[in-house]
Amino acid sequence: MTTSESVSVQSEPAVSGSLLRVENLAVRYGAAQSLFDVSIDVPVNSALAVLGSNGAGKSTLARALSGLVPSSGGKVWFDGKDITKASPTKIRRAGLVHLPEGRGVFPGLTVLENLRMALSTQRTGKEESLDHAFELFPVLGQRRKQLAGTLSGGEQQMLSLARALMVSPKLVIADEMSLGLAPKLVDLVFESLAKMREAGIAVLMIEQFASRALSFADQAIILQRGSVTWSGRAEDAGEELLHAYLGGATAA
Amino acid sequence: MLSYVLAGLGLGSIYAIAAGSLVITYVASGIFNLAFAAMAYSVARFYYWLLVEEGWGIVPSAAVSLFVFAPALGMFLYAVLFRHLRLRSTLIKLMATVGLSVALPPLIQLVLEQPTNTQAPGLAPRPLDVFKVFGSTINADQLATYIGLVVVLVVGVGLLRFTSVGLKVRALVDSEALTSLSGTSPGKVSLGVWAASVTLAGLAGILLAPTQGLSVQSMTFLMSAAFAAVVAAKLRSLPLAVGVALLMGVTTNVLEKYIDPSSTFGAVIKPAIPFIFMLLFLLYYALRGQAGDLVAGGALDRAIATQGGDPSVVSAVAGGGSNRRFLNPGLLAGVIVIGIFAMLPGMLDKFWSGLLAGGVALAIALLSYTLVVGEGGMVWLSQITFAGGGAVLSAELVRNWGWEPLVAVLVAAVIIVPVGVVIGLLTIRLGNLYIALVTLTFGSLITTLVFRRDPYYNFGSGQPMPRPEYATTNDDFTYLALAVFCILAILIVNVRRSTAGLAMSAVRFSESGAKTLGISVVQTKVLVSGLATFTAAVGGGFIAMNAGSTLPDSFDPAVGLVWLAVLVTMGARSNIAALIAGALFVLMPQIFQIYISTDLGDVPTILFGLGALGLALHPEGTVVQVGNNIMSLYRKLFGRSDPDPEAPVPPGTPGAALPDRDEADNPLLTPTARGGSATIPAGGQA
Repeated sequence: MTTSESVSVQSEPAVSGSLLRVENLAVRYGAAQSLFDVSIDVPVNSALAVLGSNGAGKSTLARALSGLVPSSGGKVWFDGKDITKASPTKIRRAGLVHLPEGRGVFPGLTVLENLRMALSTQRTGKEESLDHAFELFPVLGQRRKQLAGTLSGGEQQMLSLARALMVSPKLVIADEMSLGLAPKLVDLVFESLAKMREAGIAVLMIEQFASRALSFADQAIILQRGSVTWSGRAEDAGEELLHAYLGGATAA
Repeated sequence: MLSYVLAGLGLGSIYAIAAGSLVITYVASGIFNLAFAAMAYSVARFYYWLLVEEGWGIVPSAAVSLFVFAPALGMFLYAVLFRHLRLRSTLIKLMATVGLSVALPPLIQLVLEQPTNTQAPGLAPRPLDVFKVFGSTINADQLATYIGLVVVLVVGVGLLRFTSVGLKVRALVDSEALTSLSGTSPGKVSLGVWAASVTLAGLAGILLAPTQGLSVQSMTFLMSAAFAAVVAAKLRSLPLAVGVALLMGVTTNVLEKYIDPSSTFGAVIKPAIPFIFMLLFLLYYALRGQAGDLVAGGALDRAIATQGGDPSVVSAVAGGGSNRRFLNPGLLAGVIVIGIFAMLPGMLDKFWSGLLAGGVALAIALLSYTLVVGEGGMVWLSQITFAGGGAVLSAELVRNWGWEPLVAVLVAAVIIVPVGVVIGLLTIRLGNLYIALVTLTFGSLITTLVFRRDPYYNFGSGQPMPRPEYATTNDDFTYLALAVFCILAILIVNVRRSTAGLAMSAVRFSESGAKTLGISVVQTKVLVSGLATFTAAVGGGFIAMNAGSTLPDSFDPAVGLVWLAVLVTMGARSNIAALIAGALFVLMPQIFQIYISTDLGDVPTILFGLGALGLALHPEGTVVQVGNNIMSLYRKLFGRSDPDPEAPVPPGTPGAALPDRDEADNPLLTPTARGGSATIPAGGQA
């Protein structure tokens, strides 16, 4: 699929059952524009892999979708509602959880307090959710009184994943969850994301391990300098294509 | 002895409430609230109005003041000011709170006049009950203070540690972005923090009023003393802040047992105790390298923040190559403004020309802030003290040795320079907020120990300081001051363009980065400190020459905060802004009093304050903003293309490369074709 084809595919009306639909999203950081006309579509209970080299705009896309950075153009619909101008709080309450790049935990709070913060939108069943989190990641139960900032990188990532897994959202944006982790822990991250899919949660995954991400996802897009340069089914993204767009960093 | 300790605990409790409130607000919002005193005064004044002037009972007055008025004021201030400040630089945060502290009391006094008798009742019923404790007596006001502190500590710690509200506040301290991603609105939490902060300020104000008086000055002294405890707590530790505050209160009162407060030494040492505490802790932390700035939020917060036109982060080579153009707009504006100032003397009567001369003299002193804050990126609040030092020392040289006034001013300025350099060296390892607090404390200490002492004070009029013989008339003196201003301004422009100026700029952006380039941070900062101190002292000498006397009260550090607020409002990096700020500061109050209404004499102060508040939205300052507007109008009128009207870039914003609109608007162009246009500036990573 060529670049121009991908653009024409994206501008088609959304298919029914679409959970997240983004049309021509643009984002500026002050004077500099970092996303240009990005359009994506994530159906219910599906997984989309967002690939791209450093500085391509992957994290910016995640931040714009969760409302952390304002968009300068385009539209975003989530679960049938227009969330283009909504605050991160409202977007989270609508069921979109963003696990940010680089250990998305509160370092000054304990493990238990981090989990309680994740449950602040939930009115009932908090204890059950906490038990569920400790069941999924027993090590967190052992360290519930420890400050999150003093956990190891892997444990912090578990805490981050637990914060998403315990609340049953509709969509999780996982931004570079495997960054800097040992291979065993990377497996754990992918297992956790698979559990989310089993639970009916859609996943938008930003990953450096392109091959693993593609085998996990249904659809994929490649971002380059803020624009979607390729989009299509994950299985269609062959080694040759990845190599052409991402260079040598596609191993694993 | 016990009675001294008990009385000291009363004072210490008020310090502790103030210090605790400052720490909590600072940690939760990243803003060091210099407007604490103004808030304390406002709520205490409202309480006094209900209790004394409206005849309400103590309980309803206190309840309405502390639980309705104070939270409402806090929420209002958050909505209009504080929510814009979180990611601004220390300078802008401080200046916005200075603006608030300048504007709030006169605003309150416009509605509720300043009471003629500052003695105000506290929370205890009159006449005061007296209780016996272990053989000593305490009165009901003191008891109310102890209870106040205990209630604040129990409720505050309980709320923060054991409730979901407290959890959200602590989460906000860690990261605003993550808090919002957790579904908790940071805005609502901050609203609560500021509501609570003003309530605590109000409580401290009400408790302080019976002993220290219901006035802005007494509240300001309370706040400055509480700074010591806050610095001791490294701005973060609540228990340490409360403990040191109590210790300071007790020390102050116990010393009275051993040192007669009416003696010369006693009169000096008592008000200096908080400052001595602060200096000791600061020196300790500075030597251990533990006095850096608190970094606001977590990594995610910094990643999503973009840099604005903050004067302390904008590049020194503002406008880049445009400075070398033949008709540089900045140079043209400078020539026009100085031309207007040069034409004015012949057109004004004696009264107004005297004020104009004062304005230009002040502008010289303000140039020192342009250097140290605008160029050096260091938030020094003691420039007014150097100006006062220049004034006092030059007056002494004239009085004792009969020197020619201008020579005396220049020599005095050279003598003051080492003081500034020593302060620069001492504070080199401190974060910007600590530098601000140290310099403010230094200013207060010198004011208490030198300016307010005889023979320099002389009942407030100071020592005579004549003008030079060749410039005795207002017009001649204005020209002399304007000439000195121009010389110093040209010097600053040249320093900015020189290699040393580039080094300063590099140090301001990143000290570590500058070090790796081989730039000596020490040398650069010493150069800025020395030059700025010299300029301030010369300015002080000129202010004194203009007034004919040193008038030590006009060099109070609190006035210095207003000087800086007015300057930063006009623009901290523009020499012309300094000239305009100086003139406005002197002329505006008189214009209002004479041409509008004597009742509105406070309005300029309020306007200066509101101007500084405006920095929260436009940190680059009014002059630059107006300049940008004029330039875009010029481009519109004469058909020059505007780079991007939707996204005006403050001059010199680092790496502010604009994407070409035509290319950006065309989705079919490949990213490669856009190429370098999509450069992302510092602070905005993808």
